Formats: sequence, structure tokens, C-alpha cells
Amino acid sequence: METKYLNFFLLFSLSFLVISCSNDTPDPVEMIEENIGITAPDSYSFSRDGSSTISFSGQTTRIGMASELISAMKDFRTSKAQLLEMFANETANGGDASPFDDNLLNESTKSVKSKVAASQDYFSSNTAESSSIKADFENWIVAQVDEVFPNETELASPSKAGQIADGSSARYVNAKGLEYNQAVNKSLIGALMLDQIINNYLSPSVLDAGTQIADNNNDIVAEGESYTIMEHKWDEAFGYLFGATANPSDPKPTVGSDDSFLNKYLGRVEGDSDFAGITAKIIDAFTLGRAAIVGKDYELRDMQANIIQEELSKVIAVRAVYYLQQGKNALPSDGNEAAYGGAFHDLSEGFGFVYSLRFTRNPDTNNTYFSKNEVDEFISTLTEGNGFWDVSPDALDTISESIAAKFDFTVAQAGS
Amino acid sequence: MFSGFKHSLSTLSVCILCLLIPYSCTDTEEPDCCEEMPSFENTPFDRKALLKSWADDIIIPSFERYVKSLTVLNDRATDLTNDPSMASLENLRESWLDAYSSWQSVSMFDIGMAETIGLRNFTNIFPTDVDKINETLNRDSYNLGLPSNFVVQGFPALDYLLFAFTGEELMQNKLVNTKYTDYISTLTERLLMLSSDVLSDWKSSYRDEFIRNDASSATGSVDKLVNDALFYYEKFLRAGKIGIPAGVFSGTPISDAVEAPFSKIYSKQLFLAGLGHFKNFLNGELTNGTISDTHLGTYLDAVNAEKDGTALITLMNKQLDEAKLLGERLSDNFQDQVETDNIKMLQTYDELQKAVVLLKVDMLQALNIKVDFVDADGD
Repeated sequence: METKYLNFFLLFSLSFLVISCSNDTPDPVEMIEENIGITAPDSYSFSRDGSSTISFSGQTTRIGMASELISAMKDFRTSKAQLLEMFANETANGGDASPFDDNLLNESTKSVKSKVAASQDYFSSNTAESSSIKADFENWIVAQVDEVFPNETELASPSKAGQIADGSSARYVNAKGLEYNQAVNKSLIGALMLDQIINNYLSPSVLDAGTQIADNNNDIVAEGESYTIMEHKWDEAFGYLFGATANPSDPKPTVGSDDSFLNKYLGRVEGDSDFAGITAKIIDAFTLGRAAIVGKDYELRDMQANIIQEELSKVIAVRAVYYLQQGKNALPSDGNEAAYGGAFHDLSEGFGFVYSLRFTRNPDTNNTYFSKNEVDEFISTLTEGNGFWDVSPDALDTISESIAAKFDFTVAQAGS
Repeated sequence: MFSGFKHSLSTLSVCILCLLIPYSCTDTEEPDCCEEMPSFENTPFDRKALLKSWADDIIIPSFERYVKSLTVLNDRATDLTNDPSMASLENLRESWLDAYSSWQSVSMFDIGMAETIGLRNFTNIFPTDVDKINETLNRDSYNLGLPSNFVVQGFPALDYLLFAFTGEELMQNKLVNTKYTDYISTLTERLLMLSSDVLSDWKSSYRDEFIRNDASSATGSVDKLVNDALFYYEKFLRAGKIGIPAGVFSGTPISDAVEAPFSKIYSKQLFLAGLGHFKNFLNGELTNGTISDTHLGTYLDAVNAEKDGTALITLMNKQLDEAKLLGERLSDNFQDQVETDNIKMLQTYDELQKAVVLLKVDMLQALNIKVDFVDADGD
């Protein structure tokens, strides 16, 4: 044990160095379990009186709606009204809409829009910013139809929307080289999935609201359900990451291929050897945190929430740096206009991940790693003038460095 | 570069420091400070002569033959329009195969104007889009310069237009439609025009610029062309012709994704042509069978590139021959091969893949060339 504790101490003091190579160090989760006697089950399965207590169908629904929205943005036959209805799941007048191919989504009263920039901690008393973020999404959706669709058969050039080659495929960009569908797709990862998980459902302000601690302590379940409200809130966080997974009790094997949002990019970060193990770390924290709720240990629960908050924030930051660096490397050195497509695609994805940085959360401060002003400045560097047509490699490096500086990884580690 | 103190104590201690910083725990990356760079100062190699040989002995003659074959193709397309007979159809089909085979010798030289205009995208993107071809050819106007129209032109579109129907069907139903024959001519003319532009650019100015740019750096001609050739090998030869139809990337075989699926019997021939030309490029082998004095093989020998005691060029050639051997055993018709015995396709892919390691890791390391392309992440 003594050696183990020594190692544990070392692990803490060197945690900024060894995060990515924890294989040969004692697992802090294991240590905690020994101390307090709560054990995480092998899979994300929890039940009460023989019936499962896990439910996150609302999250699955919203991932489904977001998926249909981003594919419809690439279909030139779609109208502005249809796209906006997919975003809000209601008509412009607030009436009931049925914009989706999947009828289960049409029957739902939920929507993407209502949960964009809508977390308890960041936006409940910051509705001004929340509404301007929702407006950003609507502006991108509208601009796709107004600016890009009419130029379907035009070649893009500086200050002109149109199509441009990325390898052998065609990408459709605005006058600044931005793909609006990518802006919406990648920004939703921050504004919807990440914000809801880490700033809403994993926050004590949501988990402990009202009588939820007392209810959970006394196993008082939600009316007509098998779960306590606190258990359910935690599962809803889980659902924004694994809600489209075929086997959510063991989501690790398919991580990266279950949706086009946070799950997908957790998979991508996992695939970079510098960050391998991050999926297990997050799933373990979700599982132990859920077990802690069952075991009424809220300190342990919050420690797991902090792990998830930090690691998922890191996923966004790593992908932002990755795409900015890939975009930088793909910028044509000779200014050949036809050759910008590859870089534009990377930078469009990067744009969305940079936008998503606003929704990250540093567990040490319980606040974002990047203030609104910082993110606004990054975005304005990317889009000023002719946007991606004239963004400089140096500017992309500067943003990348500023992002990496807040975490324990380097630009080089994230960039490849 | 820092060879002066390569073995000095200070470097040793830097290396030890390297082991202490977190990079050391990722097993894929070597710390920069400990890597041994080939020392070019001790073994001078004449890169200018290499570039000159590439331009004058290989690239320009290959483009000349290619443009010539396209001239014939285009003339025969005109013949078919003027006289839609079985004989002129047969002539046209024959010249299509000839030009398509010749294309395999220049596809990898995606540099200069070929790169600027995106020659390969307008020449050989497959699978072609049959519905879109039929829609486009019936239109009054269309713009073949758009990226979204890569899939309605070039050799794959001609493969569909000339081979998807029997001779009789073409005679009776298709070639009677002037829009159909006009579209064929438009495509052959465009192939000829684009490649003629590339060839004349090489001859008028790019050749000199290409040879002059002999620096050993990311923007030097050697680094660029080697990267282009490797990108071609990995993406278009290994993946495009074999891996994608065999389902290596998708998990399920996609037999429609073979090269030239409508003529059916040429996919193997086109693959072997591409592989052969790639190997010839490595070895400086010219079409008349002679070997140029300077090529990648001599460059690798000059820097003593070896692996396990064997010259790297020998290992690469052996591996490419291995791939060729398996390729030769495939059916002429890859679509058939994928559908009846895909394992053989996968085995061929595996041999091609083994060469990627030698080319992309060992060769580039030996020549101190940085990879300038990345695999797109597919979204």
C-alpha cells in the first residue's frame, strides 16, 4: 500500500505530465473505490427491483433531429422553412411541424433549438447570450439557402459562394470559404451536446435541485418510473454522448461511429495515440459516478463529473487544434484558387470546434476555459476580410497555441 | 545537420531528457533530438540530374505518348459521329483502351499544371455517375469544369457510354441521338485539351522551373514529386483500384467501384499498367527498356538506404513484384473477382500495403522527405 500511495502522490504532482500514459500507474478510480467501498459495475447497467433505471430517449431523439438537420443542409432541394422547422421542430408561427423523415421525431415535442446554449449553469441567467447563440445557428441555416444554394453550379472564389474541389469531391462554401453545414454540425457539438452534459446534467445545480438529494437518499422514484430524478439526470448526460449507441451498456467498442457529433469526435481523439485511453476514462467516470448516486455518495459523484467535464472539454479543444493545423497544412502555397477546397473543409470543421470552446468547463473554476470574448476573437480572426481565403498560417498557429495552452497537450500532439 | 555533436555528451543528456518528458510514452513518435538524419554532406547526390532525367526521360515522353493516344481517341470519336458504324465503334473502343492505359503512366505526375488544373480529377474519377451522365448529356448547356461534374467525364464516363450497351444496342438506340455522340466527342476533346495544355506547359516553361527547384525541402521538386508518386500509389493504385472495391475501408465489398466496370475485362490490365509504371518510375526504367543513370534507386543507394542488411530499393522492388504476382492471378474482370473470390483481392491489397511501409516510412526517412499529404478523415 505504501508504494501505491507514493505513486498516487506522484501521479497527482506530475499529473500535468503523465495524463496520457497512465497505463503503468495505479488507477485513481480504483484507489477511491477501496477507500469508500462503492464499486462501479462492469457495464453501464443499473436496476431497481429488477427493472432497469436507465433512460435517455430524449437525448436519442435530439441526436436524431440534429442528424437529419445536418444532412438536409446538404440537400439543395430543401427550403429555408423546412430547415428552420427541423431546428425548432415547430413552424415559424409556433405551430406543430413535421419536418423529419423519421416519424418518431415528428411525433416528439422536443427540439434541438430549445436545448442549444440552454444549460442551467451557463445560460439560465444569461439569456441574452443564449438567444444570440441560437440566432447564430439560424443565421447559418438561412445563409446556406440564401447564399450557397443559388450558387450550386458556380465555382467558389474569394468573396463568391459556390463549389470547390476537396480531392475528388465537391464542397459548397460561402463567400469566405466556410461550409455552413459544417459550422452547424460542429458547433452543435459544443452548444448542444457538451453544454447539456457538463454544464447542465452533471452540475450539482441540476442533480441536487429541489428535494432530489433527499429523494435519492430515500429511494423515492419519479412518478411512474423506476429511477430517482437524480439518477435520471445523470443518465441524460450519458445519453448526449451515447444516446445513438446500439449497446449503451457497453458503448466503448463502437465509440466514434454512433453519431456525427460528440461520440464521433471522442472516437477520433481516442484514435490519436497521444490521447488513447480517454474513452475508457470517460466511460469509467460515468459508470462510477452513477454507482455513487446509487450509493448516495455525492462527493464521489462530483469527482466523476469533474473528470468528465475536463475530458470532454479536452475533446473539443483537441479537435479544434487538429482541424486548424490540418487546414494550415492544406493551404496551397502557390495561391492556386482551385486548391483551397481541402483547407476550407478542415477550417470549416475547425470553425465549429472553435465555436464550441465557449461551452467547455474547467472543473477547477466551474467556468469555461474560454470566455465569450476569447472565442469571439478567434472566430473573427478566422472570418475577417475574405475569411479562409486569406487567413494566414501564423494566425492559425496563434489560435492553436492559445487553445493548447489551457490544457496538458501540445499543438503537435493534437495536430496530427 | 547537427552531425558535429551527434555523439557528444550534451546530445546524450538531451536524449535522456527526452525520455523523461511525456512524449516518451507514446510509442509511435520518436523524439526529434534522438533521430538520426542521413548526412547528405558526406554522400553528395546530384538532385538536378535526377530531376532532369525525370523530366526529359520519363515525364515529358510519357505525356507525349499520352497526348498522342488522346489525339487518336478524339479523331475516332469524330469518325463515329460522322459514321456511326460498327467498325468505327470498334475503333473508338480500341483507342479508348489505348489512351486509358497510357493515362496510367502519367497519373502519378500530379505536379505543375496537372496539379493546378486538377488533371486527374477531370480524367479518372470513378465510379462514374450514370444517372448524372444521362441527365447532363441531354442538357443544352453544362459546365464540365465544376468539381460536382468530375463524375460525369473522363475515361470512366466513356467506359459507360461506349461499353454499357452492346454494339447493336448502341447502333439502334444510342448513337442515333446526336446528343449522345456529341457528348462522347465533348469528353474526348476535353481530355485532349487538358493534357495538351499540361504537356505544352512542361515543354515551354515548367521543365526548367522543375529542374531548377532542386532544393532538399518540402517545396523542392524532388520532395514534391516523390510525395505525388506516393500519394498516387496509396490512394489511387492501392485504394482506388483494389482496396475500395474489395471493401477494405467499408467492410463490405463494393464491386461497382472497380475501374472500368462497364467494359468489364480491362480492370486488371489497367491496374497492372499503373503498378508497372510506378515501379518503372522508382527504377528509372524507360519505355524502351533502358535504365536511366539516375533515379530513386541510385539516390537511395547513394545514402546507403538499407534495411536488415539489404538495399532498400531491392526490398521495395521485391515487394512490388510480390503484389504484381498476386495481381496477375486475379480475374481480368475485377468485378467478377470481388463477387466470386474477394479474398484474392484482399491478398493483393495486403501485398500492396506492405510496400507502403517501405515507401512511406523507410524510403522517406532515408531521403529525409516529409510526407505532405494526410489521409482525409472521411467526413
